[in-house]
Amino acid sequence: MELSAISIFLTNLITLIGLFIIISLSLNLEYGYAGIPNFGKLLAVAGGAYFVGAVSGRILALAYGQPAGLGYIERNLEVVGLLNSAISSSPLQSIGFLILSIVGAAFFGGLLGYVASYPAIRLRGDYLAITLLAMGEIFWVIGDNWQPLIGGSMGVRIPDPFRWIGGEYRPLAILLTVLITAAIIFLYLEYLGRSPLGRVLKAMRENELSASVHGKDVVKLRTKTLIVGFAIAAISGALNSLWTVSVSPKDFERVRHTFMPWVMVIIGGAGNNLGAVVGAIIFVTLRELIVFYKYFFEAIIPFDVVWLEYLFMGIALIIVLMYRPEGLIPEKPTRTLSEKKIREIAARTISEKPHENS
Amino acid sequence: MRDAIVFASILTMLSTGLTLTYMTTKVPNFAHGNFAAINAYFTLIIAKLLSINPYVGVVTGFFLGGAISLLLYLLVLKPLLDRGASYIILMIATIAYDMMLISTINIIADYLSRVHKITSRLFQLREWGHGIEILGQPSIFIVAPALAAFLVISLYLFMNKTKFGIAMRAAIDNPSLAETIGINVNLTYAVSWFISGGLAGVGGALAPLQMTCNTDTGTRLLISIFAASIVGGFTNIYGAFLGGFLIGLAEVLGTGFLAINFGSWVVPYRPIIPLILMALTLLFAPQGLTGISWARIFRGRKT
Repeated sequence: MELSAISIFLTNLITLIGLFIIISLSLNLEYGYAGIPNFGKLLAVAGGAYFVGAVSGRILALAYGQPAGLGYIERNLEVVGLLNSAISSSPLQSIGFLILSIVGAAFFGGLLGYVASYPAIRLRGDYLAITLLAMGEIFWVIGDNWQPLIGGSMGVRIPDPFRWIGGEYRPLAILLTVLITAAIIFLYLEYLGRSPLGRVLKAMRENELSASVHGKDVVKLRTKTLIVGFAIAAISGALNSLWTVSVSPKDFERVRHTFMPWVMVIIGGAGNNLGAVVGAIIFVTLRELIVFYKYFFEAIIPFDVVWLEYLFMGIALIIVLMYRPEGLIPEKPTRTLSEKKIREIAARTISEKPHENS
Repeated sequence: MRDAIVFASILTMLSTGLTLTYMTTKVPNFAHGNFAAINAYFTLIIAKLLSINPYVGVVTGFFLGGAISLLLYLLVLKPLLDRGASYIILMIATIAYDMMLISTINIIADYLSRVHKITSRLFQLREWGHGIEILGQPSIFIVAPALAAFLVISLYLFMNKTKFGIAMRAAIDNPSLAETIGINVNLTYAVSWFISGGLAGVGGALAPLQMTCNTDTGTRLLISIFAASIVGGFTNIYGAFLGGFLIGLAEVLGTGFLAINFGSWVVPYRPIIPLILMALTLLFAPQGLTGISWARIFRGRKT
């Protein structure tokens, strides 16, 4: 089966959209529901990817008697090649490796969320935002310089859990995995948003003081939200690195993984999972189209077109903040009862003044 | 040691500006690092494209940085404040502005390297900062601390001795009361944003004379600037002087000390020092150094 350029472009695009949907959903939980300004999204995403590069690859190496210490980095290509041929014949082990990577990354992401937010979790949100942003940058510095972790700025290759499927179907398999994961997370967050916890988070967002007066432990709620949000974003990072079969610090940077999700959530509509999804679809598509037509622009202007995209994102964000702060899809009030029951009660209470309600 | 003092001076100018805007608008300005970085590029243009002494950049830097900062306040933050936006919305707006600055900086850098064949990434102008000597010392070693001291003292005099400065302090302490006695709060805020950007511009203009600058210099500097402001106490302008100098010295001397003792591999981890100091401050004294009631500690917590 021969894949045409367009279908390759489309599979890549949809996979990327899926990955960014996961990130913007997690940010929507933190900012949209709980009102926490997490400017350290990069930390979570990179954390997930680094986990796959540094830990789960090594566990596999250990299981097959390959060097898992420094040798894993030094003889990386050789070791990963051996591991690939070992697991490519066995779907079960490949899937095991995939699940281990995703679940492990989620746990590691949660841990990072707890540790990184700890110094400032009790203070006003802007201190938390500054701390998380700084932590993200530091994490990048460590990944870029500390060789034994993920090979420093060179990065590291990791075993491919989709190899057994075979060349041409591999992109499709990854696409499905990403979309299914995104769908599960979407449903989970929808459920969470409607649950009492979701309503408490919104209460905390609207007025922290009144939430704590009603006996809600604001610090604990914030910590919990950040742990869950970081874990979800880490899954996206892990899937990203399993897709590209390599982890390199330069793939994860602040504008791409912290600012872009913010643009997506704000423009799509905060406090609203659908909004986060729509935002992710719009911006990833836009970005990929710009990159796709890059050479066309390159001839006309004397600089890299990617920068125009940054400029455009900044302007779009400011315009939306000013003229449509609720985003493209505004947040809807959460109904605790079904539509039918609300009508019933409404009909009963306004029975003195009878008029058609439907 | 010289490097430490120069870096500390630059950082003091930057953190003072950041604290000033935080005090007025109550929003941490995430674009502050790039106010400086864009002026580092203008210094490069002045030195390489126009072949003028880059110290001229200090003057243009003040006005250019001030103008960029004023634009952020007037075009973005003020309209949002009028619409009753929360501080989180304002923070996001400064990030949006930062993205526009990053884009501008990179466009300038690409333009310089592609059209004029000037090294615009990882560049430095040390031949100006260290090649020219004043009183037997590298000129940057004299100019940076002198400028920092001059700016800080004039800011102090401005805030305490002039009528406008006192009005500014009143507007910071209690905007609504200041308004009732006829102070134009909006004007005072606009002026403080201009001064803030101006200080950042001067710091940024001096930066390439001392250290290697890149398109991401502003982003890297931001951690140190925030750390300096927080360690000093985010709501106290004198704390920012202190914090800036402290973090600047700690960062350069600390890295130097560790590099001598443990080997040069520690050098890239330099930004961890301000982060640790910032985290410790937030954990134990979130009000910063100037927020601690020292008298109480010395008296032994009697109150």
